[in-house]
Amino acid sequence: MESLQSGLKPIIEAREVCKRFGSFEALKGVNATFYEGQVTAIIGPSGSGKSTFLRTLNRLEAHDSGSILVDGIELNDDLKNLDAIRREVGMVFQSFNLFAHLSILRNVALAPMRVRKTPKAEAEAKALALLERVGLADQANKYPIQLSGGQQQRVAIARALAMDPKVLLFDEPTSALDPEMVNEVLAVMRELAYTGITMLVVTHEMGFAREVADRIIFFDRGAILEDCTPEQLFTQPAHERTKAFLSQVKHGF
Amino acid sequence: MKWSRQNPGWVMFGAMIGLLFFLWGMAIPLAAAPDPIGPAAKQFAEGARVTVWLTLISGSAGVLLGFIAGLGKLSSFLPLRWLCSFYVWLIRGTPLLLQILFVWLAVPQILPDSLQISDFACAAIALALNVGAYNTECVRAGILAVPQGQVEAARALGLSPLQTFLDIVLPQSMRVALPALANNLASLVKDSSLAYAISVVELTMVGYRVQAESYQPIPVFLTIASIYLILTTAFTTLTAALETQLDVGRKRQENN
Ligand SMILES: Nc1ncnc2c1ncn2[C@@H]1O[C@H](COP(=O)(O)OP(=O)(O)OP(=O)(O)O)[C@@H](O)[C@H]1O
Ligand SMILES: [Mg+2]
Repeated sequence: MESLQSGLKPIIEAREVCKRFGSFEALKGVNATFYEGQVTAIIGPSGSGKSTFLRTLNRLEAHDSGSILVDGIELNDDLKNLDAIRREVGMVFQSFNLFAHLSILRNVALAPMRVRKTPKAEAEAKALALLERVGLADQANKYPIQLSGGQQQRVAIARALAMDPKVLLFDEPTSALDPEMVNEVLAVMRELAYTGITMLVVTHEMGFAREVADRIIFFDRGAILEDCTPEQLFTQPAHERTKAFLSQVKHGF
Repeated sequence: MKWSRQNPGWVMFGAMIGLLFFLWGMAIPLAAAPDPIGPAAKQFAEGARVTVWLTLISGSAGVLLGFIAGLGKLSSFLPLRWLCSFYVWLIRGTPLLLQILFVWLAVPQILPDSLQISDFACAAIALALNVGAYNTECVRAGILAVPQGQVEAARALGLSPLQTFLDIVLPQSMRVALPALANNLASLVKDSSLAYAISVVELTMVGYRVQAESYQPIPVFLTIASIYLILTTAFTTLTAALETQLDVGRKRQENN
């Protein structure tokens, strides 16, 4: 990977990250550096720790040992650091998690108003521009429940973008969607990838990973088993377990 | 306009209070009634006022208590959780009359002489503690009904725990908890009658006194019952209206 990354600035550095739930070790010493502008796909079997790893990166889960640096800031119990990091790292969830009692516009405008103290008019103008970008400006005054899953996920992406994050974390953004809605969300993500924002995408969409990602990470049993380009992984996987996983994915779950 | 559409719960709550103030002035029609009701109209009105006051004061304090204990029960701090569970267990497992008598008889023994409180205050404290325990469960259920994913989304966006609570959790939990809280308030109208046991001159006590003077318990108690029925019907109607209003609000959002 080094040749690919020369000259790039590291934005997330994870060193020996461990996380346990009770006696179960979900992450067993994960090492990875993510660079600015890079789009990384994270794949792996169910329960391998992909979500857990993503969630430690903005401290929705606190790691037990190891270190995580985001844009040079150490992620620890210091609330100042956490605030700074959460402004730079946006997250898109599998189940959208839109605020059900707020209009679409308000969903997108809320965080800048509260966290960055952006004046309401300015925040809403920006929210509208972002909704335009994901093709939903005409839905601004509706409520989440009135939108399809694909539309809700696009709103969730706009909501994350409203904070101008340097990094966007996606945890299986299309897994909860009906098949016909997957593409509208992937199209938005593809467009985002070309804008140069750093993206970490946990996904089962191998086509998307292969086409859009610069790098692919294969998680297995709480550790990174492979870390290479999508081309390499799909044509010549180094491990038997990767091969087994890929053939399983190919034949559907 | 926009505010009232977005906060139907609070609008109904306001209407409820308005209605209670309206019932306040009921001495005028009662005065026209024949003996033994007419001459005692002022007493009935005064009793109803005390009942409504007692309900409103202990009801508001009870909502506050319910919030504090409801949040406490969800706290990650074990002793606080334990304390709040103990409070709910204690109050819900003992008779209200006992609680009222306890506050009336035991509290003056604990307090210094300079800090003695009225019978009315004793009743209000006991009723607030009582309804607060029942409110605790409503508040807790309301907060638990807010999907955890929304809390995570808010935190991931950088909102502080307090902002997350005020902007995301509170408004949505109120939609769930408000009808149940309003129901508890309606029962409180009736429960407040137990204050007669510690000589608070509320509606039931008035009825007791008037019938003792007139030896006509049937018309007197029918009048008292009617006043209670008007009060509780008002409360339950508003509660039902509140629930449909919340539903209508949701449907309107869906069909827009
Ligand atoms: N809050 C939790 N408490 C206990 N165990 C947990 C918790 N979160 C995750 N785990 C466990 O940690 C392991 C890794 O979970 P994780 O969600 O990271 O897997 P994943 O790779 O994202 O899988 P999937 O593809 O199914 O989403 C699983 O065995 C899971 O049961
Ligand atoms: Mg997962």
